[in-house]
Amino acid sequence: MATVLSAVLLIGGVPATPALAETPLEQTGLAIVVPKTSPVEDLSMAELRNVFLANQQFWPDRSRITLLIRAPQSDERDYVLNTIYQMDEAQFRQYWIAKMFRAEVARGPKIVFSTDMTLDLVVAIPGSISFMRADQVTGDVKVIRVDGRLPGEDGYPLR
Amino acid sequence: MGFGDISYVSRDSSDNDGFLIGQAVAHLTASLGESFSVFGEFTATARDSEYAFEVERLIAKYEFSDLVKISAGRYHTPIGYWNSAFHHGAWLQTTARRPEAFKFGSRIVPIHFVGVLAEGTWNQSPLGLSYMAGFGNGRHANIARAGDAGDINGENAWMLQLRAAPDAFYGLNVGVGLYSDEVSPDGDPPIDEMSFSAFAAWTGESPEVIIEYLHSSHELVADSSISGDVSAWYAQFAYRLKDEWSAWKPYARFEHTDVDDTDPLLGADGLDYDAALLGVRWDFSPYAALKVEYRNEEFDNGGRENNFQVQLAFVLANF
Repeated sequence: MATVLSAVLLIGGVPATPALAETPLEQTGLAIVVPKTSPVEDLSMAELRNVFLANQQFWPDRSRITLLIRAPQSDERDYVLNTIYQMDEAQFRQYWIAKMFRAEVARGPKIVFSTDMTLDLVVAIPGSISFMRADQVTGDVKVIRVDGRLPGEDGYPLR
Repeated sequence: MGFGDISYVSRDSSDNDGFLIGQAVAHLTASLGESFSVFGEFTATARDSEYAFEVERLIAKYEFSDLVKISAGRYHTPIGYWNSAFHHGAWLQTTARRPEAFKFGSRIVPIHFVGVLAEGTWNQSPLGLSYMAGFGNGRHANIARAGDAGDINGENAWMLQLRAAPDAFYGLNVGVGLYSDEVSPDGDPPIDEMSFSAFAAWTGESPEVIIEYLHSSHELVADSSISGDVSAWYAQFAYRLKDEWSAWKPYARFEHTDVDDTDPLLGADGLDYDAALLGVRWDFSPYAALKVEYRNEEFDNGGRENNFQVQLAFVLANF
């Protein structure tokens, strides 16, 4: 874990990778991804929100959840703030500062700067969860269902 | 991470108007393993001729699961909403000042307690149920302080708070709580204290609504006929404006505290209070806000007075 966290810090100065696809995120959908070894298959939207708000910090197998969030000024982050958090950047920042100050979490979410970095860290960190454009998912990670649906299926809520 | 605030205050009843350094707050946290963490909150508060340094919170916590987290240390007592939501960071709260009953140094609410706390959240519930249950030292002989060096009378305090944050109403928090202690005030006989608290908070910014109620009963241990009650409530409303005005957040709050004259713990302290408060918060930076606040207050039925405060509040964070 320490090695991974160090890697996050060291890579902190790398600029975000430009999105490869030009298709709007609202059309491709946002995939929620976890390690392939994760037992998690499906979350309701309410459960997903609780995970992203760190109201839920453990998976059912009692492993610790590590939340990976894209750095500001990425379409994926804006989409997650709008749809899952229902907050703007200022509210999101204040939410996490307050959460840490209330001693409800020891640290905020890990910040990732590109889809490649997201993929690398989701693979490397057991218990991690993150998000990316559905058309950029690789076979290295598992896409979980949200409200019983996968990206591309009718009624998928993150699209 | 830390917080600070600087105010200009003008009060009808004071000749000491002027600039005030509020509190400088330092916050330290360390993860000492996958499930064990330590959190500390330390303040320096300006007094007449010195700064008072205080360990406000020091919490060592072990997390077994979302449902069971056990900790020990010094806390802000989980009574109601404000005392466990905002702590010492003035930047975090919309208003410049805390509600009077929940102010630091309050004699009505035991702001701090020292002991152990179990807390947890039942994530499988659509009601978003959570609890906090504490056991520890009761109030000090100076009842505005916690028993930092042990319980002074061997009668520990206990508290229980149940909360709900329903999935269907994202942003809504409601809760009820109980607090019980035997208090031994300096020079007075022991008094039983039982408090009930309830709150409802809509934590969105447009609008933000916080309503909180506290009822405490105090009864002389040696003579139950000597007793009295305290009722305190406040209702706060705020609204973050939209679009190009989104840095601005007007707010209002109404407060009321009523203490029975017969109350053996607080009846002689003159704590009756009424207030109406109007203000506006301007978040001119992601990490700083300027608040302009007018308060019309009445202390112990002694006539109303006007108070005015401008507060610069900021957070030192790199999040």
